[in-house]
Amino acid sequence: MPTQELIPIRFALNGRTVEARVPPGMTLLELVRREFRLTAAKEGCGKGECGACTVLLNDQPINSCLKLAASLRPTDRVVTLEGLADDPLMVTIQKAYVAEGAVQCGFCIPGMVMSSYHLLRTHPQPSAAQIKEFHSGNLCRCTGYAKIEKAVAKAAAAAATSGQPAGGPAPEPRKETR
Amino acid sequence: MDSLARVHFPATLSEAAAILRARPGARLIAGGTDLLVKHRNGLLPEVTDFIDVTGLGLHEIVLADGQVRIGSGCTMTAVAGHPLVRERFPALVQGAMQVGAFQIRNAATLGGNVGNASPAGDSIPPLVSLDAVALLFGPDGRRTVPLAEFFTGPGKTVLQPGELIEAFLLPDRRTAGAFLKLGERRAHAISKVSLAFSCWESAPGRREVRIALGAVAPTVIRCRKAEELLSAAPWPPPAELVDKARALVVEAARPIDDLRSQKEYRRRMTGVLFQRALEQVRA
Ligand SMILES: Cc1cc2nc3c(=O)[nH]c(=O)nc-3n(C[C@H](O)[C@H](O)[C@H](O)COP(=O)(O)OP(=O)(O)OC[C@H]3O[C@@H](n4cnc5c(N)ncnc54)[C@H](O)[C@@H]3O)c2cc1C
Ligand code: FES
Ligand code: FES
Repeated sequence: MPTQELIPIRFALNGRTVEARVPPGMTLLELVRREFRLTAAKEGCGKGECGACTVLLNDQPINSCLKLAASLRPTDRVVTLEGLADDPLMVTIQKAYVAEGAVQCGFCIPGMVMSSYHLLRTHPQPSAAQIKEFHSGNLCRCTGYAKIEKAVAKAAAAAATSGQPAGGPAPEPRKETR
Repeated sequence: MDSLARVHFPATLSEAAAILRARPGARLIAGGTDLLVKHRNGLLPEVTDFIDVTGLGLHEIVLADGQVRIGSGCTMTAVAGHPLVRERFPALVQGAMQVGAFQIRNAATLGGNVGNASPAGDSIPPLVSLDAVALLFGPDGRRTVPLAEFFTGPGKTVLQPGELIEAFLLPDRRTAGAFLKLGERRAHAISKVSLAFSCWESAPGRREVRIALGAVAPTVIRCRKAEELLSAAPWPPPAELVDKARALVVEAARPIDDLRSQKEYRRRMTGVLFQRALEQVRA
């Protein structure tokens, strides 16, 4: 095996600038889980199919299992579910999932709620079709999706009545200490 | 298990081309949604180096010299959302929006979809239907290749050692069009068969028509006979001409049986997709 160089990187993780030295083939998912101990994002498939590894990169959801850690730049902002733990919209979403019984084994949920969050940020009053569309990159083997869809609709309604800021850019995420 | 030793971050196209030519085990990486899946499944044992092309400034979409120029590094999300594209190329908007799911489209690039050269690549039939030309950059400079002539087989292209795709050039015109695909499910599935239809006014009451098929031949193909028939006819085409064109489209398809679908299904669905695309464009 040829010697692998370690590549120095710097980027914003959950609102805080972090640095690491990563092997060439390491993914963002491996980086956040192993180096930063942020274990909300899961490896379900490692192939971009299941969405359990969903994180936000510059406000857009991506599969962290298919993002080369080495390619992160100082201007990149990565937000994992941990970074949204105090975010009012995320808390509303989580409460709605619990209220609707939308969580069974739970493995898909950290990725699922990231997609819910992206949906409600960009479409505060989503249609049923939009709810399905925005979660099409997240597979759930347990719930059959119906309760998840209900939970997202409920979260949208709850966010609207509580006057939560929806739409527009994501707020500055919580500062993460390592 | 991991043969990957280095990732390069070239700042210029010349630098990228030089590394690519000097190192036979080097592969370009853009969004990584094709390459990393293969790499992590051990399908790229020969690959020693990745060349990250995301720092080359290839993510612009501009109008210049009668052409819309789309940088190869544009993501599907960026392509489908750009006003220059939305106002002119509905088939491309629909194609880009049907690649994977949000998470994939936010990473997957047009250059990667074309560079991967799968006959099932969903941006390819739309680009071919819009007379797109690939602008290539290599150690010996730039050249252009019509996208319809860019592919030589599944995963095979006319790219020479050291060459990469810089941008796609699309004639600046307002087109009507559609892209339709059939996969295992409606979203987030690889095409078993796909069809792009684009047309634009060539004379009063006439339209120049392009039809491109995905996943029914070793490369994306054009249906030239059907295109000629419809381009020579008055627009909208009368019913008997539509039937004839549909038969020609089905005839052009040369599908195979594989793990995703069967030959006969693909052939018949090609005709169905053609009919649906035409209805969508006429509506
Ligand atoms: C879960 C999942 C679902 C998918 N669904 C679809 C789908 O529905 N439709 C579809 O078409 N595809 C789909 N794909 C495949 C993939 O996402 C697309 O082909 C994507 O456009 C590839 O772009 P990329 O930037 O990620 O390419 P990369 O993986 O970075 O590169 C792909 C190939 O292109 C080469 N390349 C990259 N940039 C250039 C360049 N500038 N010049 C020349 N060569 C270059 C690379 O060397 C590599 O060989 C899916 C993939 C996954 C994982
Ligand atoms: S682990 Fe990334 S999509 Fe399944
Ligand atoms: S709750 Fe088990 S996979 Fe979704």
